[in-house]
Amino acid sequence: MSKGARAGLVLVAFAAAIGLILFGIFGYLRTSPPVVSAVPAATQPNTVNVTMQVDGAVGVGPHPTWVGYWIQGANGQYKQTTLFTVPVNTYVHVKLYEYDSGGALRNPYWGKEIGTVGNAITVNGQSVSLVNSYAGNGVAHNFDVPGLGVNVALPGVNGEAKNFCEVGPCNPSEAHNLIEFTFYSGKTVHNYRWQCFIPCGLGYLNGNGGPMQSIGYMAGFVEVVK
Amino acid sequence: MAIDMSQSTGVGQSGGAGGSTAVRWFARGNIVSATILGAGGWFFGHWWGNVIAGHYASVQNSGTNDVSWLLGAIFATVAWFIGLGALNHPIAKLWGGEAPMPEKKDKYSLWEYFSYSTDHKVVGIQYLFAMLLYFFVGGLLALGIRTELLSPTYHIWGPDTYIEIVGEHGTMMMMMMTSVIMGPFGNFLIPLMIGSKRMAFPRLEAVSFWFTVPAFFFLLSALWQGGFQSGWTGYAPLSIQGGVGQDAYLFSFSLMAMSMLAASTNMVATIINFRAPGMRWSRLSILTWGMITTAFTMILSVPVLIDGLYVMGMDRAAQTSMLYGQHGGSPFLWENLFWFFGHPEVYLLALPGFAMTTEILPVFARKPIFAFKTSVAGMIGVATLSFFVWQHHLFASGMNPDMRPLFMLSTELISIPTGFLYLVGMGTVWRGRLRFNVPMLFMLAVFFNFLWGGITGVYNSDVPVDALVHGSFFVMAHFHFTIMGQLMFAVFGAIYYYTPLLFGIKLSEKLGKIHFWTMFVFFNSTFLPLFIVGWLGQPRRVFEYAARLQTLNQWVSISAYGLGLSLAFFVVTFIWQLVVTRPKSEPNPWDSRGLEWQVGIPVPKDNFERIPVILSSPYEYGNPNAGPMADLTPSISSVGSDV
Repeated sequence: MSKGARAGLVLVAFAAAIGLILFGIFGYLRTSPPVVSAVPAATQPNTVNVTMQVDGAVGVGPHPTWVGYWIQGANGQYKQTTLFTVPVNTYVHVKLYEYDSGGALRNPYWGKEIGTVGNAITVNGQSVSLVNSYAGNGVAHNFDVPGLGVNVALPGVNGEAKNFCEVGPCNPSEAHNLIEFTFYSGKTVHNYRWQCFIPCGLGYLNGNGGPMQSIGYMAGFVEVVK
Repeated sequence: MAIDMSQSTGVGQSGGAGGSTAVRWFARGNIVSATILGAGGWFFGHWWGNVIAGHYASVQNSGTNDVSWLLGAIFATVAWFIGLGALNHPIAKLWGGEAPMPEKKDKYSLWEYFSYSTDHKVVGIQYLFAMLLYFFVGGLLALGIRTELLSPTYHIWGPDTYIEIVGEHGTMMMMMMTSVIMGPFGNFLIPLMIGSKRMAFPRLEAVSFWFTVPAFFFLLSALWQGGFQSGWTGYAPLSIQGGVGQDAYLFSFSLMAMSMLAASTNMVATIINFRAPGMRWSRLSILTWGMITTAFTMILSVPVLIDGLYVMGMDRAAQTSMLYGQHGGSPFLWENLFWFFGHPEVYLLALPGFAMTTEILPVFARKPIFAFKTSVAGMIGVATLSFFVWQHHLFASGMNPDMRPLFMLSTELISIPTGFLYLVGMGTVWRGRLRFNVPMLFMLAVFFNFLWGGITGVYNSDVPVDALVHGSFFVMAHFHFTIMGQLMFAVFGAIYYYTPLLFGIKLSEKLGKIHFWTMFVFFNSTFLPLFIVGWLGQPRRVFEYAARLQTLNQWVSISAYGLGLSLAFFVVTFIWQLVVTRPKSEPNPWDSRGLEWQVGIPVPKDNFERIPVILSSPYEYGNPNAGPMADLTPSISSVGSDV
C-alpha cells in the first residue's frame, strides 16, 4: 500500500473515531427528558402554574413499568419529564394529579408539609398540613426540593379501585387525588434538584434504585431563571 | 459452527474440513465468526433468561431482568470463544486427533492480529493496542467528569449520567489497566528476556487477551444501560439495588479477573520453567522479577474477587441475600472480599511500573542497577505486605476500631519496601552518565510523580487523617499520582523504548519530547490542586460543589483538557509514524545489554535460533571487562545437559 493510501486510511480512521465519540456524547449521554417552561400570565406577573401527574407506571420510553412524572406543557400536552423552569421571585402554584397508590411511611416525618405557602397543601379541596400515612391510602410519594426547603407529601389513592390507572399517561376519569400547593421560587437564579424521598422503585431492593435515581422518573430539576 | 472437528488440523490452521472455502474460514475461527456467534449467544441466553425469570414479580415491576442479562452475557462469551476457535484444540483432542500449534511466522498480516494467535509477540501487540484503547476511552470519560465540574451549578450531564461516567471511568482504569504492562510487555518480552522460544502456555496466553475484549464491551455497555451507581468498588446495597448496568460491571470484572488469572499462571510457569541455561535468579532482568511477583500476587488475590463477584451475582439474579444486612447477609462480606483483592491490586499496578522503570533506567544511566537484590527484596516485600493492608479502606466503615491500629501499622510498613524501590532508582541514576532520551524522561518523571503519591499515602494510612480526607478529592489526587503518575508514565516511556523491538521503527525524539513535557506539566497541573480541593472538603462522586471551589476546579478542568490534548497528540503521532512515515530503527538503538535486544529487528519467529546460554547479568553497564550477556549460538558441549 502506498504512503498516500496509508495516510488516507489513518485519516479516515481518526475521523471515524471522532464521529463515534461525538455520537456517544450527543446521541446518548447528553440526551435528557424535555424541559417544560412555566411562564406567568400577563395578569399575574408573579405567579406561575405547573400541572403534573404522578403515575404508578409511566407507560412509555425505555422503562414503561417505572413510576414517574408527567408535566403539562404550554400547549396542554403532557410530557414525560421531571425538568421544568420557573421565573425567579415567583410563586409557583402546582396542581398535581396523584394516580399512584400509597402506603405507610418508614419515617412519619416525611408526612409533614413544609416550605409551601402556609406550610399546607390541599387534597381534593381539603387543607392538609400533615399526612398521617397510617390512615386512609397512605402516602404515595413526596415532592422534595431541599434547596428551597420544600417537602410535600402526596397522599395516594386506593390501589384496589376499579378505575385505578395501571399505565400512564392517566386521565382524570381514573382514580386520583388532586393536590394543590404553592411555593416561592426564591430570589436566586439556580438549578434546584428535586426528588421523591419515599422509596417507590418497585422491583428494586428497599424500593431504591431504578426510577428513584433517574431523571425523568422520581428525580428532577426545577430551574429558577430570570 | 466455528468448531473445526478435523483431526488433522490445529488451531488456526487450514485443514481438511469439508465444504466451501468460506465455510472452512468460518469454522477455523476468527473475529467475524466470534462476533456473529457471540451475538447469537447473547440473544439465546437473553431469551432463556426471560423464560426462566420473566414472570418474577421483581422483574415485572422493575422491567429489568438480571437473569436474562447474565445468561445472555455468559452465552455470548462462550459463543465468542467458540467463534474465535478457542475450543478447536480441546475438542480435537477429545476426538483423539492431534492439534498442533499453528506455525509461527516472521511477518503477520494485519488480519492475523485479529485472530486467536498463540505467538507471544502477536499477543503482546494485541494487548498493547487494546490496552491503549481501553485507557483512552477511560481518559475520555475523565474529561466528561472534568467538564461537568467546570461549574458547581450549570450541568452538562444529569446527576445519574454523571455518576455513570464516574463509575465507568474508575472501573475502566482500575480493572482494565491491571494488564497494561504484563499484557503487552510481559507477553512480548519475557520469553526474549529469559531466553525462551515461547511462553509456557500459549493458548492460556491467547485466552487471557481475548477475555479482555468482551470485558471491555460489556463494561462500556453499562453506560447505555443506566450505569452502576456503586462506582468501581461495588459496595452493597447499591450494587444489589442497581439496574442491569450493575450486571455489566460484575460480569466484565469477572471476565477481566479470569484474564488476569490466565495471564499470571502462564507468566509464573514460563519464568520458572523456561529460563535458558545460565539464567540464574540473580541474572533475571528486573522486569522479569516484576512480572513474577505481580503474577504471584494476582494468583493469590484475584480468586477472592471472583468469589465476591459470584456472591454479588447470586444476590442480584438468584435473590440470595449474602451481602444485604436486613435479610441476614453482610455488606462487610463484600467489602472484605473486594479489598482483599483491591489493595493488592493497587500494587499489581505499581509493581510493574517500578519494574519497568528500573529496567530502563540503567540503560540511560549507563550504570548497573544500584542494589539489585534490594530492588528484588522491595518487590517481594511489597507483594507480601499488600495482603495485610486491605482494611485501611474500611477505616471509616464502622469496622472494629481495635483493628485500625494493626492495619494502620501494616500500611505504614509497606512504605519501607516501596522506599527500597524508590531508592534503588535514585541510586541507579546517581552519578550516572545520563542520556535524556524520551524513555528516560518518562522514567525520571515516574519518581517525581510518585513522590507526591507516596508521601500523601503515608498520611492517608493514618486513621486520624483518613477520617478527615476519606472520600474526598485528596484521596483521589493521591491515587492518581501513584497510578497514573507512576504506572502510565512508565507505560508511555516503555512504548517509546520498545517500539523499535515491537515494530521496527523508532519514534521521533522531537515529537516524543513535546508529548512528554506537555503530559508532565498538565498532569501535575491537573492533580496537584486536587489535594487542596480535597483538603477544603470537596467530596468525590458528587457533581455539585461549594461555589468557593469553582476557581480551583476550573484550573483543574482546563489542565485536564491540556492533558487530554497531550495524549491525543501521542495517539496521532504514534499512529502516523507507525502506519504512514515508518521511521526505520537500527537494531538495539539504545545500546542496551538486555537479551531481548540481541536477537535483532524484527524479532525472529522463534526468537532464538538456538536456546542461548546466559553468561552474565543484563546490567553490567560501565564495566569494561563485562562480556556479552549471552552466547546466542552455543555449541552443544557448552550447554551440556540443560538443552
